[in-house]
Amino acid sequence: MAADANPTPQEQLDAALLGFESALPQVSSEAELYELQVRFLGKNGAVTKLRSLMGKVPPAQRKELGQAFNRVKQAIDDGLAGRKLALAEAARERNLSRHVDLTFVPDPPRPGTLHPITQTRRELEHVFRRLGFDVVDGPHVEAELYSFDKLNIQPDHPARDMQDTFFIARPEHDPREGAPSLVLRPHTSPVQARTMLRHGAPIRIIAPGTTFRRDDDPTHSPMFHQIEGLYVDRNVTMADLKATLYRFVGAFFGEGLAVRFRPSYFPFVEPGAEFDMQCAFCFDGQLSHGCGLCKQSGWIELGGSGMVHPAVLEQCGIDPSVYTGWAFGFGIDRMAMLRHGISHLRHNFEGDLRVLEQFTSP
Amino acid sequence: MLLSCTWLSELLGRPLDVSPPFDAGNPFSAVNIAARLTNLGLEVEGVEYFELPKIIVGRVDDVSPHPDAAKLNVVQLFDGARTIQVVCGASNLPPVGGKVAFAPVGAVLPDGLELSERELRGVVSNGMICSETELRIGSDGDGILVLPSDWEPGTLLQDLVPGIRDAVIEISVTPNRPDALGHLGVARDLALALGCELTLPPVSEVTTGEPMPTLVTLEAGDRCPRYLGYALEGCRVGPSPLWLRVRLHRVGLRPRNNVVDVTNFVLFETGQPMHAFDRQRLSGERVVVRQAAAGEPITTLDDTKLELDPDDLVIADAKTPQALAGIMGGEGSMVEAATTRLLLEVAFFEPRAIRRSARRYGLRTDSSHRFERQVDFAAQLELAAARAVSLLQQLSGARCVGHCDARAELPVPAQISLDPDHVGRLLGMDVSASEIARILQGLGVSVDRTNPQAWRCEPPSYRPDLGRDVDLIEEVMRHHGLDELPARHSSSPEELPVLPEDPLRALANALTDGLRACDLHEHVSLAFTAEEHTLPFVSEFQATQLVRPVNPMRSQQGCMRPHLLPGLLDAVAYNLGRHTRPLGLFEVGRVYLWPLTSDDAPDSGNPTDEVDRYLPTEPSRAAAIRAQRVSGDSPTGELARALTRDLSATLARVGLPAQLRAPTQPRPWLHPGVQVGLWIGDREVGVAGELHPDLLAGRDLGEFELGYGELWLEALPPLPTVQFQDVARFPATTRDLSLDLDTRISSAEVLAALTRAAESAAAPGDVQDPPRLANADEPRRPIELLEDYRGAGIESGRHALLLRLNYRAGQRSVTDAEVQALHDKVVAGALEQLTRVDPAARIR
Repeated sequence: MAADANPTPQEQLDAALLGFESALPQVSSEAELYELQVRFLGKNGAVTKLRSLMGKVPPAQRKELGQAFNRVKQAIDDGLAGRKLALAEAARERNLSRHVDLTFVPDPPRPGTLHPITQTRRELEHVFRRLGFDVVDGPHVEAELYSFDKLNIQPDHPARDMQDTFFIARPEHDPREGAPSLVLRPHTSPVQARTMLRHGAPIRIIAPGTTFRRDDDPTHSPMFHQIEGLYVDRNVTMADLKATLYRFVGAFFGEGLAVRFRPSYFPFVEPGAEFDMQCAFCFDGQLSHGCGLCKQSGWIELGGSGMVHPAVLEQCGIDPSVYTGWAFGFGIDRMAMLRHGISHLRHNFEGDLRVLEQFTSP
Repeated sequence: MLLSCTWLSELLGRPLDVSPPFDAGNPFSAVNIAARLTNLGLEVEGVEYFELPKIIVGRVDDVSPHPDAAKLNVVQLFDGARTIQVVCGASNLPPVGGKVAFAPVGAVLPDGLELSERELRGVVSNGMICSETELRIGSDGDGILVLPSDWEPGTLLQDLVPGIRDAVIEISVTPNRPDALGHLGVARDLALALGCELTLPPVSEVTTGEPMPTLVTLEAGDRCPRYLGYALEGCRVGPSPLWLRVRLHRVGLRPRNNVVDVTNFVLFETGQPMHAFDRQRLSGERVVVRQAAAGEPITTLDDTKLELDPDDLVIADAKTPQALAGIMGGEGSMVEAATTRLLLEVAFFEPRAIRRSARRYGLRTDSSHRFERQVDFAAQLELAAARAVSLLQQLSGARCVGHCDARAELPVPAQISLDPDHVGRLLGMDVSASEIARILQGLGVSVDRTNPQAWRCEPPSYRPDLGRDVDLIEEVMRHHGLDELPARHSSSPEELPVLPEDPLRALANALTDGLRACDLHEHVSLAFTAEEHTLPFVSEFQATQLVRPVNPMRSQQGCMRPHLLPGLLDAVAYNLGRHTRPLGLFEVGRVYLWPLTSDDAPDSGNPTDEVDRYLPTEPSRAAAIRAQRVSGDSPTGELARALTRDLSATLARVGLPAQLRAPTQPRPWLHPGVQVGLWIGDREVGVAGELHPDLLAGRDLGEFELGYGELWLEALPPLPTVQFQDVARFPATTRDLSLDLDTRISSAEVLAALTRAAESAAAPGDVQDPPRLANADEPRRPIELLEDYRGAGIESGRHALLLRLNYRAGQRSVTDAEVQALHDKVVAGALEQLTRVDPAARIR
């Protein structure tokens, strides 16, 4: 019997294991490891194929061969798993040895910006919404009726000169008679009249919007933005106006800033007052000591206010013996300039990129 | 209005401290008076202090010509102690013994010049003989100030003339306070605030002569309810005394002669304008108050020739108008040096008509300013008249020989019922009844407190602004002060309604955020534009639709913008002239156009319809522009594409994804080959493209490439609330497709062809749940545009369009084979359509 010519199953198993063990160290990637696994343990793998030898050995040896087979398979499994672990460890080492300089970042694009007037208007709207105000607006080209007459500014009265107004020509192609005389609204107050006419009392609104006056100098632009507040209800008082302005100033500029009134005249309110706030820019928590922005006075003039004139309520269909109300108004542009320290009005409307791109916001 | 503190001090009957604000604790210092005025609603614009600490009276003792200068004299001046040599160039030096204003060495002139010993062409001058202008007590700078010869040499000038030392407070007087347009009214407010007694201007005993009913004929009594006329004789017209000239100069007036100066003085004292006619030059020596005849001529004092309107009120003599009533006198009867007989007018004119006339001729005078705000027609009018007659007698020697008080129907004083509790209810703080009464009575309001809940109040006739109870409450507020006003919310029993949000406002805000997220910068431009800048848009609207101010400030602002492009272009031009960086701006705002037809808009049922149907339209737009210098031969279209992408991304961001396809009408201001419409369904909602080279050339922007696009907010559907769609459970299978096409075939057309082909390829009922192009509502579009390639390998005029098509079934995985079959059908169907317009269209 030429025993050597035909290797025994055990010898074949040993040879396969030897082949695996010599191939394993050459493996350098997970993919190669998988290939190796398939080569030995796959459906047609070298070791798998040896299972068919089981049928060719006498039954007495089968048990022993089976155990040998399992030992080889186990050895290969262990080898694969060990190698896999080593590969992963090597990969992790390689990964961790990388170095990326994150201080080098190509210039990111300049983020888009909102105009400071938009930002300020939105912030004002936000604050007043929190205080319970609805936001409304109206047409820019407005009837004199709503811009003046309904606001107790009578024709041929000098109060009409308090603002220099743009008048709007009727179109040639409109033959209708009885058309009202039109203006570019010189204040947002017509929105008051419109809202009262439409919704009656009680009502609490702000009306931010674009306004126009024939003024063009370093501190006036023919187009500007105003915000107007109106509250009409039973028992509304000047003290309530002060409380509202106080809360607004606190929310917008910071807590603790005082608000004061100075008597003044606006035809649509009586009594009327200008209102100032303690200068927020030189405020130490108690006092404002004076700075350039408040011209050393410690106070910043904000706008006009007062109790809605009973004639205005009457004109707008509200009974002044039942309801009282207050109104205030101030410039958004100036507020934006104060808020951002914008030095000159002209920056607002020129559209200079170098100005606009500074006003990043959340 | 300029207030002289010297004047106020006379009316308050006590001295005021007019030094610069050293003593802040003195309530009667000018600085505190100013603060008080502001708190009373008479807002102070500024305070200016005047004094001449070292200027003295000098006596001319000798005058000899300068040895070396023809126009100079060497004067020996006696300063009360010694004789001083001064060189003087004035031509009006008084003779020896005359008095002049002398600034010795060491004196400081108001302009800051400190005098020192000087040599003028070899002669030493120890000081200066001054003119009014140099001392800032007058406007006559032609010669030196010559003083009355009986003044004592060496006396300080400011001790001799009241008002040289003064503080002048500038206040702005609101239109409701005509009484504060004279020192008396301001003093009345101050007297109450400071707790001192008002001292009325002194009126010396004057006779007003006989009643002369023929002196004044009142034909237009409705326009002039009261006219006091005085006939004066023996007037000697000449310069006013120095104190009067200084006083007028302090309040900003130029002295003329004693008669005119007296009328101006009384105007600034009492707020009552008046006019003196040369009676001799009045035909019939009388006046008629009447309305003008149409076209009637008058030449006013300032030599303006007017043709009058029948609405004008005139003061005529027996023949012709001699004054435009309440506004300006006529040249024909003005007081001159030779005048001896006067007719003095002190009248009350109906305010609105005065204002109309003043505006008609653009004549705003101190007089019209007061009349149109309404002067007093009762006691103060009479006081002013007596004061003027008295001063004229005193200063010009004129005697009053006759007078006439012509009256028509005078305004009825308001009777106001005031509930004192209402004061506290409206203000929100307690003010006692006695305090209310104190303030009102202190202001001249008569108060009858018989009924404690309804006081009967009658305001004085010099306060026409007090007409309702709230006006009285304001007076209480002014004088009681608002420092104690608490900040306290009131409680109201009613629920406040919540008004509907304006959907357009929300949309505008959303688009603003979207465009900003595209790294664009928001710009706000003036809503005006030059008419020439609207020309590119004439195909979109007619010139008559432009909304135009009647009174624009300049022609570049001649109309309201009908479009956002001109404003953005202005900003682009501004930037490109100043730096070289690429630029991306946007603006969200309104444009203004008259509707083409004026059919009455249907009633919306709002009370404002009566006005709204006559208003122009104000559609809202969101527009963006990108600009950069053209680097090669011609623009690349890159910016137009970027802009289109910005707008698409912005719409997608707010939940309103749009499709791109040809605009309904090509825009002539965009490049004909580089423009696109943005569509939502069958509605065009915007347009984008490259600006037309001709438009850019017209704006000197020829070297730049500009992409522009805009969205029309009214055309956009309301902002949607996203409805959740379950994620696809089965994966899509993709097929890439590269087409070789003529460049004139747009991607939109290819997409449309493929979509149509896919619709007809998927025959329903064929298979259960067949594969199809994935629905457009799912996150990945059914057909994705990957690349638009032009260049090597592609013929010129053609491009390779690389697309990716997504296929999936609803509830199962699809097989490769069935997708391939469908894809082949889709491509074949699309090519069939495309070859109709481009026979060479093919798959690459």
